[in-house]
Amino acid sequence: MTSDLARFYQQMYVIRRLEETLLEMFSAGEINGTTHTCIGQEATAAGVISHLDSERDVIFSNHRCHGHYVAFTDDVEGLIAEVTGRTTGTCGGKGGSQHLCRGNFYSNGIQGSIVPVATGIALAERERKSGAVTTVFIGDGTLGQGALYECLNMASLWRLPLMVVVENNHYAQSTPEELAVSGSISARAAAFGIPTAEITTTDVEEIHATAGSAVERIRATGEPFFMVLDTYRFSPHSKGDDTRDPAEIEARRASSDPIALIADRLDPELRADIEQAAERRVADAREAALAAPVAGAVQA
Amino acid sequence: MSKSLYVQAINRALHEEMDRDPDVLCIGEDIGPMGGLFGATRGLHERFGAERVIDTPISEAGYTGAAIGMAMEGLRPVVEIQFADFVTVAFDQLNTVAAKMHFLLSGLAKVPLVVRLPYGVNLAGEGYMSGHGPHHSQSPEAWFCHMAGMKVVMPSGPADALGLLKAAIRDNSPVMFFEQKGLYETASEALPEGEHVVPIGKAAVVCEGSDVTVIATGATVGLARAVAERLRAEGVSLEVVDPRTLVPLDTEALVASAIKTGRVVITHEAPSTGGFGGEIAARIAEQAFGRLHAPIRRVCGLDMPVPDGKNNALPNEERIEAAVRNVLESG
Repeated sequence: MTSDLARFYQQMYVIRRLEETLLEMFSAGEINGTTHTCIGQEATAAGVISHLDSERDVIFSNHRCHGHYVAFTDDVEGLIAEVTGRTTGTCGGKGGSQHLCRGNFYSNGIQGSIVPVATGIALAERERKSGAVTTVFIGDGTLGQGALYECLNMASLWRLPLMVVVENNHYAQSTPEELAVSGSISARAAAFGIPTAEITTTDVEEIHATAGSAVERIRATGEPFFMVLDTYRFSPHSKGDDTRDPAEIEARRASSDPIALIADRLDPELRADIEQAAERRVADAREAALAAPVAGAVQA
Repeated sequence: MSKSLYVQAINRALHEEMDRDPDVLCIGEDIGPMGGLFGATRGLHERFGAERVIDTPISEAGYTGAAIGMAMEGLRPVVEIQFADFVTVAFDQLNTVAAKMHFLLSGLAKVPLVVRLPYGVNLAGEGYMSGHGPHHSQSPEAWFCHMAGMKVVMPSGPADALGLLKAAIRDNSPVMFFEQKGLYETASEALPEGEHVVPIGKAAVVCEGSDVTVIATGATVGLARAVAERLRAEGVSLEVVDPRTLVPLDTEALVASAIKTGRVVITHEAPSTGGFGGEIAARIAEQAFGRLHAPIRRVCGLDMPVPDGKNNALPNEERIEAAVRNVLESG
């Protein structure tokens, strides 16, 4: 039997090792362009997405999408191949790190454009009476985009089954929340008549419980929900662009690493098996990606 | 056969396509019971209901993005941007998502989106839609021609408006559909009965001639025709060609006409700098330079915001005629 806890640990561990590997691959010159890792934020992906059905529900994620993608699709291999620009990648190697699109999963790196599109997807799903919940993951940085508030207004007016998840990692690239976000985050959604929840933990089991109530409510009422999750990224915004105080990062790593938080709750033998399998899977995916054909030439 | 106005042709296309395909819907500001600011969606709300004719808040970014999301889910939304000028607010949605999603998904996902954009002014300079000042008069088609991933369509008369809008709604790519709003209530012609679909990507030779080719879009097609009529009395034969679609452009038809006459004038309402006429001139120069007897001339909007009222900022018959005489005299 695989418990929820073991599944969360497995997902978070794979995501962590996958992203650490991507950073290694950058240093080794095996990847061009850029990547944004969610190291430290894995619990939001595992805790929220475990309530979603990849056959029915839809996710629109942002530039920091690796964790969401793996939690929803379990496609470690497609992700590494995409980031390395291979034909076997999720988007045939044409999109890269910020453009993982497969099945009901979409992502792009422009914060103001993902919420309106997710709103339309929720509207289409409602018209089809599919029962789907459309989830859009945004960050504290997205709160600066006006299009978000247009969509909260429309989602509330039109009663759309849309879940907006704010992963508040307290920094928009280098800009701290206190310089960019006024007032209360959840009150912004509440002003549009949208129910909200806000929690300040990176414990995946607590996130799972809160997200469960949110998803249940959306499925029952067909109406939007706005959830604010407190989190922290341990790695830079993309690569080498970190201006935060290293002591602050270390303190958060010591207190709120979502993987360390639940490690002791698992049987040590099971934990070791999960970790070994994840290491092997990521290493194999790296090797397979590098052996696959480069996407290369395109035609208009 | 009775004649239909340009706006009635648009309205007929929307009715026919919504009747034909339950996935087609309209979304925009004041398009419901009011029937749209220019009347293009009149009657749709009564016939198809509020679920398929969606009145929105004044949120161009929000509802254009929502329409893109609906299109990605397989619906066929037709967005009305009340004035084409307002599309700037929705630029992020169109450029970031609509123009790129098809490419990113290796052609697996389609974005069957139409954005209707009432643009321009009445080039007669008086009467209906003759002047709304700099914020309500622009011709922004070139912005989207440069946004690789979009189709750009500009019908110059009612029959093409009907047939091209139907084709746009059936197309699986995002289509920016530019409706010349000065023509809404001033251009009329008999429409074909039954199904009338004009293929995207095909130019039309509006009138045949042998001395000078005038390539015109939207309302400048009417100006070019009038000049052609007038000069025929002098024994000068103009060939007027309307590209109808800017992207993908029917380069072959334009080059063929340029080779036939050896003299080319290009006219459009948008400012000349960065305007689509430059692209047309470049293609003709690339493919037919040695066959031209005179330099290509452009008759475009002046490089300035569109002033209110009657003015000389936009193309008119006199400027087109002067350009035609210029290419006849040189070379």
